[in-house]
Amino acid sequence: MRLDGIRILLVEDEAIIAMTAEDMAAELGCLIVASAATLDEALAAAARGGFDVALLDINLNGVDSLPVAGRLKAEGRPFVFTTGYGASGRDPAYQDAPLVTKPYRVADLKAAIAEALGR
Amino acid sequence: MPDLRAFLAGGGEMARLIRETDWAATPLGRIRSWPQPLRASLSIALRSPSAAGVLWGPDLLFLYNDSWSAYLGDRHPWALGQPVREVMADIWPALESQIRRVCDEAETVNAVDMRLVRNLGGRVFDSYWTYSLLPIGLEDGTIGGVLAQARETTEAVEKARQDHFLLELTERLRLCETPAALLDAALSQLGRHLGAIRTGYGEIDPDGARFRILACWTDGKAADISGDYPVGHFHRAASDPMRSGRTIAIEDGEAPGLLSDEARAKWRSIDTRAAIVVPQMVAGRYGAVLFAHDRAPRSWTAADEALLAAVNDRLWQYLSRARAEAALRRSEERYRRIFEQSNDLIFTADLDQMITACNPATAEALGLPREALIGRSIRDFVSEEGFEQTTRMLRRKVEHGGTTRHEIEVHRIDGQPLCWEINSALTMDESGRPIGLHAIARDVTDRRKAEERQRLLVNELNHRVKNTLALVQGLALQSFRDGRPAEEARAAFQERLAALAAAHDLLTRESWEGATLTQLVEGAIGHHNEAGRRIDMAGAEVTLGPKAAVSLVMALHELATNAAKYGALSVPGGRVALRWTLDGGDRLRLEWRETDGPEVRPPETRGFGLRMIERALSADLGAAVHIDFEPSGLVCRIEAAPAGRAA
Repeated sequence: MRLDGIRILLVEDEAIIAMTAEDMAAELGCLIVASAATLDEALAAAARGGFDVALLDINLNGVDSLPVAGRLKAEGRPFVFTTGYGASGRDPAYQDAPLVTKPYRVADLKAAIAEALGR
Repeated sequence: MPDLRAFLAGGGEMARLIRETDWAATPLGRIRSWPQPLRASLSIALRSPSAAGVLWGPDLLFLYNDSWSAYLGDRHPWALGQPVREVMADIWPALESQIRRVCDEAETVNAVDMRLVRNLGGRVFDSYWTYSLLPIGLEDGTIGGVLAQARETTEAVEKARQDHFLLELTERLRLCETPAALLDAALSQLGRHLGAIRTGYGEIDPDGARFRILACWTDGKAADISGDYPVGHFHRAASDPMRSGRTIAIEDGEAPGLLSDEARAKWRSIDTRAAIVVPQMVAGRYGAVLFAHDRAPRSWTAADEALLAAVNDRLWQYLSRARAEAALRRSEERYRRIFEQSNDLIFTADLDQMITACNPATAEALGLPREALIGRSIRDFVSEEGFEQTTRMLRRKVEHGGTTRHEIEVHRIDGQPLCWEINSALTMDESGRPIGLHAIARDVTDRRKAEERQRLLVNELNHRVKNTLALVQGLALQSFRDGRPAEEARAAFQERLAALAAAHDLLTRESWEGATLTQLVEGAIGHHNEAGRRIDMAGAEVTLGPKAAVSLVMALHELATNAAKYGALSVPGGRVALRWTLDGGDRLRLEWRETDGPEVRPPETRGFGLRMIERALSADLGAAVHIDFEPSGLVCRIEAAPAGRAA
């Protein structure tokens, strides 16, 4: 299974982790087409579209990113939660959404993106 | 010839004595010459079943019957035919005027329970008499003598007086509330009634070795002897009989051979010669003692003993009651104090869950005065579900008994929610029917909040650890890529980890609430600043949030590492100036300027360090970052948005 050319919206507030995600995405053949570090930026990026899947950090500098998940779900855009809280930190309304816990491995990310895309 | 002495027939012993007496030499003369009225009166007197006699002639010579002889004691038979003023010398002053009235005015005197003070051989005592004195007329109409009939009523009178005394005493004791008041009333009443100089009440220790005189009444002259004594202190020989419940009555302590010299000296020192001591047996044990003392010798009567015993009984009974009540009051007081002062919330309610009583802690917790709480329903302080819960608990207790313990959200009168843990049980009436409930509640709001806070903290800690691990992962990936020599990559990674650890140290010291920029700079690059000559740093006092602080530390670390490797700090004499200001009080401007280093050329590709600086600061501080590779040295300008600081 290849993820070549998959366009990603990266929502992550921690720069170093974002850079790590970028490197991993590159390794998988994906393209980071947009990045957001705050809720407002993320909502704006989600509204603009132009990506195939979103990597969504649940906690953005202390702010819950669920509104972004809501927007993505409403528009039928696939997404993957990333979190340091573990699986229990996921809102019950999104129990089915794929989730990777930090720190994650390339293989984790690959599987989660594939799951989100229904592949 | 009729027998002129026939009137004496059937007159008993006294009639015989009269007949056998030779009256010829007396003012009465031979019996044969006695006038008819005398003979008739004497005949009646001699046959009277009660004490009777005749006083005859100018000297009122006394002739009396058998019954009267018993009253005369050792003056009988001397008294026969003697003038009455000599026979009854002790009471003559009281009688004389009455007898004169009978003789001179021909009046009849009737006296009922008349008090006459007797004096027999120096022994003075009260006696009571009911008597009649009738004139005996002669044929010439003058009064020849007095027919006397008498009955001693001392016993009856004293019995009646005692009954009355005890009745009054009981009335008084009933009104006394404390043991001290009871003793005071009983001892003073008894002392006055007996005309004693001292009365007292003592209790014997359980081991029977000592007794304590709890209270003492005196006539004002005698000494108060309240205090603690060994049993037998006043009269050793009395202690054994008293242990078995016998009264000790001593008429005269000075009587020879009665008291030991030591005891007699004690009696003298308290001015006492006569004493009566009545023990009170308590549950078969010599428990208490009531006593009366007199200054002069005194013959204690059976009535005195009975009176003391009766007072002792009543005193014991009322004392026990007063002590039990006092103990109950103390106990109630103690529990009331616990109730009043408890920090726990204590309240009672009826079966309709109406509050019937509560302690100040409850009133304060609910924000209402106590009076306003009583009569309100528990429903007023809990939600609908809460009331269903308390009702369920009440039903469970009514059906299954026991206590219930549950936690419930309670609302203060101002709406503030509280979390209470309530323990409650039913209150029963005498027949065991539930009539209400009593409850002790503890406000666990703070405990629950602390638990919640604890849970959040643990969660947050987990998040931060994971995040930090992700950061470490990022640093590792970046340090070990690009085919750098392994040695160099390892060194870079270790330094980055050290910088990250230093930033965390700083934040831990500051309780993760942020750190000042000066502290952060010192921590991040202090080790590059040889003796303070290489890096010149100055700026305003600014506090950064945890996340911004970590990013800034990492950025400064990368700048310093870069400078040490390629820039100003890589040659001797190279310097760095680090300046920061707060624009408009809120916008942070920071400039890193290297000088006197090797000539600088812009690199073809930017390494992880510089990339990270730009990314991290823009993300975490909301900062605009400009890195210029000026020929004189690298310049990094950071302009941070206000929001970046609070994070």
